[in-house]
Amino acid sequence: MNKIINFTIDGIQVQAQKGETILTVARKNGIYIPTMCYISKTSPCASCRMCVVEANGVDGFVLSCNTPPTEGIEITTNNDALQNERVNIMKLYDVNHPLECGVCDKSGECDLQNKTLEFSVERQNFSARDQLREIKHWGLIDYEPSLCIMCEKCVHVCNEVIGDDAIEVKFGGYSSTIIPKNSEMLDCTFCGECIAVCPVGALTSSGFRYRANAWELERVPATCAHCSAGCPLEYETRHSAINGADEIFRVKNNFEFTSLCGAGRFGFDFDNKQSSEANSFELALKAIENAKAIRFSSIITNEEAHILQLLKEKLGIKLFNEDARLFGEFMKSYGSLSGKLHHSGSLDAIKHSDAAIVIGSRIATDNPGVRYALTTASKHNGAKIVYAHPMEDVLMQNVITQMMKYEVGTEEGVMALLAYEILKDADLTESERAFFDDLDLGYIYAETNIGEEELSYMSKSFTRAKKRVLIIGNDLIAHERAGNIAMLAALIEKYSDFSLVVVPREANTLGVSLINTLERDENIENVVGYNAKGDFVISSLGSADLAIPALNQQEGTVVSIDNRVLPTNVALHFSGYTLNDLAKALGVHKDETTHYTQELRREAGFKGIAFDDLENFLSPLGEDNRGYLLDEVALEANGELEELDDLPEFNGTIIYQCDPVLQFNNYTLKAEQLPKDNFLHGSAQFSVAARISDGDMVEISFAKTKIQRKFKLDSELKGTVALNPTFDISVDAGRYRFEKSKIVRVM
Amino acid sequence: MSKVYFSTWNGEFINNINKPQEEWEESAYNLPAQYDSHRESKAFIGWDGVALFDEDVDVIRLAMEYAAQYQEYSEACGRCAPGRWGGRILYDQLDKIARGEGSVADLDHLREIGKSMQITSKCEIGKTVPNPIIDLMKHFEDVFMECINEQKPSKHYGDEIGYIAKITAPCTDACPSHVDIPAYIEGVRDLRMDDSLMATRQTMPLAHVCGRVCPHPCEDACRRTNLDEPISIMSLKRLGADWETDHGYDFFHPMEKKPSIGKRVAVIGAGPAGLTTAYYLAAEGIEVDVYEELPVLGGEVAVGVPEYRMPIDKYNKDIECVKDMGVNFLVNSKINADDMRRFESEYDATMVATGTRISKKVYCDNERPEIKGYWGAIDFLDKVNLYEKYGYTITKAEQEENLLTTDYVDLTGKILVCVGGGFTSMDVVRCAIRANAKKVYMIYRRDEKTIIKNTTYEEYHEAVEEGVEFLFHSAVAQMRDEDNLLKSLLVDKFELVPDPNGGRAELVKIEGASYEIEADYIIPAVSQSADLELLPEEWEIEKTSWATIKTNGKDYMTSRKGIFASGDCEYGPMTIVNAVGQAKRAASVMARYVQSGEVSLSDDEIMEDHLRKLRVYDKKEKVTGWLPGIPRQHSTVLDAEDRKYNNKEVKLGFTQEEAMSEAERCMRCYYIAMVQA
Repeated sequence: MNKIINFTIDGIQVQAQKGETILTVARKNGIYIPTMCYISKTSPCASCRMCVVEANGVDGFVLSCNTPPTEGIEITTNNDALQNERVNIMKLYDVNHPLECGVCDKSGECDLQNKTLEFSVERQNFSARDQLREIKHWGLIDYEPSLCIMCEKCVHVCNEVIGDDAIEVKFGGYSSTIIPKNSEMLDCTFCGECIAVCPVGALTSSGFRYRANAWELERVPATCAHCSAGCPLEYETRHSAINGADEIFRVKNNFEFTSLCGAGRFGFDFDNKQSSEANSFELALKAIENAKAIRFSSIITNEEAHILQLLKEKLGIKLFNEDARLFGEFMKSYGSLSGKLHHSGSLDAIKHSDAAIVIGSRIATDNPGVRYALTTASKHNGAKIVYAHPMEDVLMQNVITQMMKYEVGTEEGVMALLAYEILKDADLTESERAFFDDLDLGYIYAETNIGEEELSYMSKSFTRAKKRVLIIGNDLIAHERAGNIAMLAALIEKYSDFSLVVVPREANTLGVSLINTLERDENIENVVGYNAKGDFVISSLGSADLAIPALNQQEGTVVSIDNRVLPTNVALHFSGYTLNDLAKALGVHKDETTHYTQELRREAGFKGIAFDDLENFLSPLGEDNRGYLLDEVALEANGELEELDDLPEFNGTIIYQCDPVLQFNNYTLKAEQLPKDNFLHGSAQFSVAARISDGDMVEISFAKTKIQRKFKLDSELKGTVALNPTFDISVDAGRYRFEKSKIVRVM
Repeated sequence: MSKVYFSTWNGEFINNINKPQEEWEESAYNLPAQYDSHRESKAFIGWDGVALFDEDVDVIRLAMEYAAQYQEYSEACGRCAPGRWGGRILYDQLDKIARGEGSVADLDHLREIGKSMQITSKCEIGKTVPNPIIDLMKHFEDVFMECINEQKPSKHYGDEIGYIAKITAPCTDACPSHVDIPAYIEGVRDLRMDDSLMATRQTMPLAHVCGRVCPHPCEDACRRTNLDEPISIMSLKRLGADWETDHGYDFFHPMEKKPSIGKRVAVIGAGPAGLTTAYYLAAEGIEVDVYEELPVLGGEVAVGVPEYRMPIDKYNKDIECVKDMGVNFLVNSKINADDMRRFESEYDATMVATGTRISKKVYCDNERPEIKGYWGAIDFLDKVNLYEKYGYTITKAEQEENLLTTDYVDLTGKILVCVGGGFTSMDVVRCAIRANAKKVYMIYRRDEKTIIKNTTYEEYHEAVEEGVEFLFHSAVAQMRDEDNLLKSLLVDKFELVPDPNGGRAELVKIEGASYEIEADYIIPAVSQSADLELLPEEWEIEKTSWATIKTNGKDYMTSRKGIFASGDCEYGPMTIVNAVGQAKRAASVMARYVQSGEVSLSDDEIMEDHLRKLRVYDKKEKVTGWLPGIPRQHSTVLDAEDRKYNNKEVKLGFTQEEAMSEAERCMRCYYIAMVQA
């Protein structure tokens, strides 16, 4: 039933869809109703009462933020009586609010300041006894209760969008305050979203506190460089001292509609400060000319990737990037069955879903953007969420409704079971049906450790769902059987109402996979590393043979998980060479790197729009007008599912390559404010099995790697797999993330 | 009704100022003039006005203390700007006047802030706290002015005076378990399901059950009714419980279990009353042993209420929640008088919560239990549920007794007639449909309207949809058998004859309209009575005229010290929520009793009883500040064809969207009442 309600606001005829409130309709129609506590992405806090309106025939004022309109109602948003109450509310907000605007971080962009002026609160009739309230220091976040107006926005986003549910209101009338939930100290993932939404200076960034005023900072719109979610953000820069160089002071975001994780918010100072030796440019040119291959990471722009591709073609060298190669291979197999190049889902599809399966990813840390979208779906749509993975994740507990714990390595079997269950009644082709008929279910149940009842429980819990999404993580992409897995994913997408999201590992894995033709990485001599290991290293990570700008020092585009081509801009000037300078010297000529934007491969779905013509904003109602969505590309659907392979067994000591919250890679490692938890995390069970105890220094050997770490007993973990961080080392992205390893105590 | 010195309660205006006490008028309301057995009230102040029972009341202090309560009642407060600051300003300004430092401008500010609170506050506390304060300022202006003009403290400022306050809401007041309904709805609205669930569990441990099968008397007292339709209060309750279960959380208990205090309590019966007693006693650090006669826990909700209404895996979560508090359960333990005598010395107190498990007779001719096909409702439902939910099969002997050929209840080809009209009879007929009976009748003396009133609209219509035929204004006159095998029933027809004097209409038999229906089974589900064999005769425990255990309905102690009773065996067959409410109160009394040997009520409980007597809900009150006409949400129900022959849960519960939009309709009608005693 999608009934449309007709009514008027201030005499203007307007319409409401199901689920819309008077306030949302007013905003859609450009009619202003003041609010102090409303935030679009959460359920109404309803605490400020500023948004009261009059409805004809109704005694008293009606709250517009949480009241849906009724047919024919006439709403008045402003008159003397309403104005009087709003002024009184502002007076109340101002009672005992410390007059420290001169030093307050929020000054200049403070809702309380703005509305105090807007409502001309010139005198104060009301007074109440002041109270002593201590400032709380919660690590990256400071809380000053005397400035807090108890709008509850922070509490709502933390619970409904982020999913940490780490703060709550301590009720107590006038002495109400925000407190950490179930803990003395704030125990959360430090996304800093609470700081972003705070309309006053109550919640602030401890690293930014008292360092600058809002109006002194220059804002540079950009795309976050840390993962593939492609979150929009603004770097705020200013000179660091008189005559000092510019520096990023903080990151802000359009919190009304989007969110950032803590790495995005606090991990902004990864700019490359290294300056190169005078002759390093020449050495770099020579190195490239003599190189057999360039090995590069996906934390680069599309334009850089494009230049690398041109160099490859020009110089006949190989390109190595295992992360993007595997992603590309996966999508190729996917395309061979789906007949198209891009997955159908997006973060928005996840947000709006009411059923989701996440498989093969420790998603909360792999891609916080996906986690937040899942939180939103869980909270606002009551989504049923199946989390299929060999390890539980406490960060996901309040979101997931079914943990499907499978044996390490058996992903192909699990995908086959999921497809089997989801496509039971689907109209498959004969050969596709034969694939399922041939499955040895007993064997797969036994080896994956997924029971038949788990699958039927999933189907039962999805019964009422209308919008479903399948989210596939790196454990499937980097799996030995990725090809078949990708086809199973394509099959589910094709024959069911599931949309599909394949989560790229790095900020621009997807873009690189579309732009570059990549060879399998071989351990050969004469490799130039581009933000990666090599015999000659060109990098933005510091201590390189030639320094180049980091992503916050460049303009260009990246492709996000949404298949969206997103522009990013120069926050800090880099004095040195860029890849384009090298290319120019090597005969690949364009004046500016961004001149390549319009030349990005049309065959991959790029639109050929020039960089300067790309939009980069969210509309006042939150529509994403950043860059553009890739065009869909049709492919020949000639793929055939292979028979299921024997499912591998992983015995012994297993580690899982996985970063802690707030860390992603060597760039986040550079960020001053981000904690660097580089312990090997294991459960008590793991510690017994590996015969190591908390605090031991251990040597971990897997593949050809040997590293030393301290072991940390983690009470939140279960089972026999330990988590090994990767942000401080470089791991081979071509490998499956679970590794059989040897762990010995180092004396 | 009591004499008052002054009252503005609910719009009345009684002013006996300067009149001798003998001439004082009475208030029209059940105001708590007598606080408890040894204390008289001096004043009562609340959302709806103020009443003074004594000339000596310091009205400024009274107003100030009432404003102070607003700060105290933190669970409902601090959530909106006008309330948070306004409440504090009210208090500070009143205190300023009371201590002799007030000015005339303070009175203006009080009126101004009071008005803003009345108009814009989030909940009714904020909207109503100014009401009696402004009443006092208006009618005792001279007293206020005297303090202001002479800059002197009010007459009892600084004296030690007892003020006892209680927060309530119309729905909470009407709920026999006094569940903090606005709080659990707020939890849903704020998407904080843990808070929602803990709000429920403060007084109601069976959140899954009472989120599904409660007859929700609260909804009859929902203030939203005055505006459009009541909130779907019951259905919103299961969200918290379902969320906890869905996400596999440990149980969210609203309190921390206290360390052992070395006391022991025996609870007889593991139904709603027994479970509730056990939960709250265990939380107090008391060791609790629950004895259950049946092989399964849960009482009638387990073996009476069918699976399609109350899935056992969900009920088991509620039971596990009680277990999680640290309660010992002993199943297959039928307690007799000797046990009870033993318990008296082994335990510090005993709770009898054995329910009513004897099906009453139909009272018709030839009603002989030995006739095959005559099957008591309780036993019938036991057999159905023990098989459907737990897999207990029926023995050969019992099969024969009940004309069965299978080890579960299969009524294929059989005609079943149930005599009843309450929830139990609805369960019987709908289970009979699911057991594949050829034809199912419900015989009821009164009409459709009454059966809906006695059960619920949904329950009745779902039964009709599933194919039950209701014979209204009918009663079984005679059972007809052949060799003790039921063959048919003679049914009398009645009509409702209005009383010409305007009294209650009377059912009169229509002569010559009686008819016969074929029947293989007759299931009496008229009512149930309590089996009280376990009470030692020499204890001479007092009974009610309904043959249930007698208590005063406040502390639930029987006529024998240390022996308590709650639930159906005390009240007679009633609802789950009634049993829970009694048991919750009894647990609180018992927790004090085992420590002190005294039977007492807390101030909160005394106030709870006063407010219940006064009645919080006023169906005539005009609601302002809310837009009327926003429809109540209805949760999806399985189609009759999808549910008729299986035990799938019939009500699917709200989707998140439905739940949130329903929760937004709640007006948070919290009120504060305060007595000066």
